[in-house]
Amino acid sequence: MPTRRDFLKRSSLIALAPSIPSFLARSARSAEQGRNERVLVVVQLDGGNDGINTVIPFADEGYEKYRRTLRIAADRVIKIDDRMGLHPALRGAADLLEKQQLAIVQGVGYPNPNRSHDVSMRIWQTARFDPEEHMTFGWIGRAADELPRPSTGVPSSLLLGDENPPVAIRGRISAAGALASLHDFDAEIPAAAGPNPRTSNSTSLAAFVQRTTLDARGTADRLRDLVRRDAMGDGSYPTTKLAERMKLISQLIKADFGTRIYYAVQSGYDTHAVQLASHDDLMRELAGALKAFIDDLHVAGIADRVLVMCFSEFGRRVEENGSAGTDHGTAGPVILAGPSVKTGLFGRPPSLLDLENGDLKMSVDFRQVYATVLETWLGVPSAGILSGKFERLGFLKS
Amino acid sequence: MTTKYWEPYSPTPDEPWDLRRVVHLHKRAGFASTWGEIQRDLADGPEASVTRLLAGKPRAVGVPPDFEQTAGLLAEAAVASRDISRLKAWWIYRMLFSPDPLAERLTLMWHNHFATSNLKVDDPVAMRRQNDVFREFGHAPFGELLRRVVRDPAVLIWLDAPANRKEHPNENLARELMELFSIGVGHYSETDVKEAARALTGWTVTSKGEFSEAAGRHDGGEKTIFGKNGPWSGDELVQMLLDHPATSTRLAFRVCEMFMAEETAVSGVAEAPAQRSPGERESALPRAAVESLADGLRVRNLDIGWAVETVLRSRLFFSDRNIAGRVPGPAEFVVGSARALELFDPAPSTLLLAEWVTRLGQDLFYPPNVFGWPGGRSWVTTRSINVRVKFAAALVGGALRNPAVPFDALALAMRQGRGDDLTTAIAFYCELLLGNAKGAVVDEIQAAMLRPAANETLEEQVRHAVATILSRPEAELG
Repeated sequence: MPTRRDFLKRSSLIALAPSIPSFLARSARSAEQGRNERVLVVVQLDGGNDGINTVIPFADEGYEKYRRTLRIAADRVIKIDDRMGLHPALRGAADLLEKQQLAIVQGVGYPNPNRSHDVSMRIWQTARFDPEEHMTFGWIGRAADELPRPSTGVPSSLLLGDENPPVAIRGRISAAGALASLHDFDAEIPAAAGPNPRTSNSTSLAAFVQRTTLDARGTADRLRDLVRRDAMGDGSYPTTKLAERMKLISQLIKADFGTRIYYAVQSGYDTHAVQLASHDDLMRELAGALKAFIDDLHVAGIADRVLVMCFSEFGRRVEENGSAGTDHGTAGPVILAGPSVKTGLFGRPPSLLDLENGDLKMSVDFRQVYATVLETWLGVPSAGILSGKFERLGFLKS
Repeated sequence: MTTKYWEPYSPTPDEPWDLRRVVHLHKRAGFASTWGEIQRDLADGPEASVTRLLAGKPRAVGVPPDFEQTAGLLAEAAVASRDISRLKAWWIYRMLFSPDPLAERLTLMWHNHFATSNLKVDDPVAMRRQNDVFREFGHAPFGELLRRVVRDPAVLIWLDAPANRKEHPNENLARELMELFSIGVGHYSETDVKEAARALTGWTVTSKGEFSEAAGRHDGGEKTIFGKNGPWSGDELVQMLLDHPATSTRLAFRVCEMFMAEETAVSGVAEAPAQRSPGERESALPRAAVESLADGLRVRNLDIGWAVETVLRSRLFFSDRNIAGRVPGPAEFVVGSARALELFDPAPSTLLLAEWVTRLGQDLFYPPNVFGWPGGRSWVTTRSINVRVKFAAALVGGALRNPAVPFDALALAMRQGRGDDLTTAIAFYCELLLGNAKGAVVDEIQAAMLRPAANETLEEQVRHAVATILSRPEAELG
C-alpha cells in the first residue's frame, strides 16, 4: 500500500508540500476560469435582525425618542460617518470596513411587507410573493440551474449546518446538499488497482473510478491537512457556531471542493424581550465569524473569489416594546463582505421620524441586491430568477 | 417470439454459467446474495434462477416468517410518529428482509423516476402511500402505475397541482408529467405544456390528504395537445401520453438503466449515446437494443414485468461486457453488503443503515430534485468514496448492531470450508463479494493482507480483509 508521502510525491494534484497556499496552483488559470470560480456565501440572520441597532442612526432624533432603553450611546457606536455607525460588538465588521471590504445596503425590504417569519423568509428565499411559489424553487437554486454543474458530482450549493436545506437553494436541475462536519472526508482510502485488461467492458468506467478515487484521496488529503493545521493554529476563528460553519466553508473552498454557493444560518434574532444582551452576542458572533473567514481566505490568497452576503427576513419595529425588546418590523440592512465589494453605505438610511405605520420605509427592493449579486458576481441573468427586471446597485467592483 | 437484441441466454463454453454470472444476477436484480443462494443457483442453472427471482422467491435465508406483518407494524409506527427517518428505516427493513428483492429494486427505480421529495411534501403518510403504490404496481402495465401516480397526493403537492387552476394555471405538474414521467424531452412543445396544464386544472389534494377533482377550478375549454383538439381532461391527457410512442422508449431506457452496464455494445463498438434529457444518465447500450425493447413494450401495453423478464433472461444481460460495469446505488451497496455477509441476527440497525445510505448520497424520500438521483457515475464522489470506507469498517466492526458484536468473518468462511488460512478466506470473500477470486484487485488485496499487523488473530485478519474488500474502489462496480 502506498503511504501518504508516496502519494504526495506522485500526485500531480499537489506539486509541493500541502502548506503552500493554493493560489500558486491557480496562477495559470485564465480570467474566464476565475470568473467561473467565484463563490457566494449567504448568511441568513434568522428571526428578524434589528437593523436599527446594527447600522445605527445615532444622530437621528428618532433614535433617542423611540429607543429609550435599547439605545446604544453615541460614544459607544463605531462611527462610519457623522450619521451612521456600527453596533459596538461589530468590531470585526468595522475592521473589514476600514480595509475596504464591507458594504452595507440600507433600508432593504419589499412592498407590502409581511410580518410572519415564515412568509417573509420565504419571500426572501424565493423572490416570489405568491405563497404557492414558496415551496418550489429558491433564487439560489434557480441561479445554480444556470451555472455550469460542478464536475465532480458535488452539489451546486451546500448548507453548512444541521438545519434542513432551505428552499432558497432548491433548484430544478441543480442539486443542493447539506453538510454538518468534515468527518465524511477523513477516511484512509485505498488506492484503485490499475485497469483490468481482461475485461474491456469496464475500461472506461474503471478508469473513471480510478481517477475519481485519486481525486477523492487528493481532496481528502487536502481537507485533512487543512483541518490539522487549523487545529494546531492560532485559534483565529472564534469558537461560536457560526464561526465553525464559516471555517468549514473556508476549508471546502480551499480544498477545491467544487461547490460554489454556500449557505449558513445564524439563529436567535427574534428579540421580542430584553434585547440588548442577546443582540450584542449575535452581533459579536456575526462580526467575529465574518472577520475570521475573510482573513482566512486572504491568507489562502483566494479572498477575491468570495463574496459574503448577510440578510434577515425583516427588521424590527422602530419603537421598542414594553419588554425591553422589539417586535417584527420591515426594512433592514444587508451586509456584504469581501475584497470585491465597493466599500461603504448604499441606499438611503431610513429615517426614524418619517415612518410608515411606525415602521421604517424601505429604500431598496431586496431583488435589486439579488440582481446585483446574480449578474455582476455570478454572471447569471436575473430577470427570470427574480420574475422581473431590477436595477443593479453599485456595491460590487466588477 | 424473441425480441431482437434480447435473445435468451444459455450457457456456452465462452459464457459459462459460473459464479461470476450468478453473483452478477443477484447484484443487478436484487441486493447481492448469500453463499448458499449462489451455490444453489449455480446448480440450478440460469432459467430456474431467473424464474425464482421473478417469482419473488430468490432468498433462501434471512426472511423472517412474519415479514409482512413486521414490516406493516414498522410502517404504521413511522407514520404515527411522523418521523421520516423511521420510514426510511422501514424501507431498508423491506430491502433487507423481504422475500422479493426485485420488487424493492423496482420500487427504488420508480421512486427515482417519479422523484418526489418529502422536503416539500412534508408528510410521511403520503410518502408511505406513494411508496406502496410503486411496490404494488411496479411491474404492472405502466398505465396502471402512471394513472395512480398522477393522482398521488405526494406527487400533486410536490408539483404544485393545487395551485394549478383555471384562472392561473401552474405548469409544474404538466411539464414533469411529460418530460420526466412519460414521453421525455424533445417530444412536446411549450404550447403542449401550457395546454396540458389546462387539462390538469382542478386536480388537487384535500385537507385530509386525498386526491380530489375540483370541478370549479377545471378549465373545460378546447385545448390543442399534440395537434389534437378537444376539451381534454387530465385523464385523457394521461391516455395520450401512454399512447405516445416516446413513452415506451423512455420506459425501455429506465429498465436498461437498472440492469445494464454503462458500456454494453453488441458489436464491440460503443455507439454514441443518443440525445439525453438532463438527468438521463449516459448509457452506451446501442440505441437499437433500447428501441427494440421499446417496440416490445408498445405492443404489450407497456408491461414492465415483461421488459424486466426479457432483459434478465437475455444473452446481453449475461454478456461479459455487462458484468461489473455498473455502479450500484447506495441502498443496493449497503443492503447488499449486509445480505452477502448474512448479518441477519442480530441485524444491523435499519435506522443506522438508512443514515449510511443518506451519507453515501441517496437520501431516501428526499431526491435532490425532480430529476431524481442521476445515478451511475455520479454515485462516485469524494464524499461517497470516503464514506464507503467508514461504512465498511462500521458494518464489519459491529458498530451498527446492538449488542455491538463484530462480524465473525472467519466463522462464515469456515462454514463453507474456506476458513483454513487467510489466503483461502480472502479468495472466498472475493468470490462472495466481487464475484471472482482472480485479477489485479484480488492480487492487491492478498498482497496487502499478507502483511498483517502484529498480534492480530486470524479472525481479526479475515475481518480486516472483508472491510478492505468493501472499501476498495472496485467494490463500486457491480
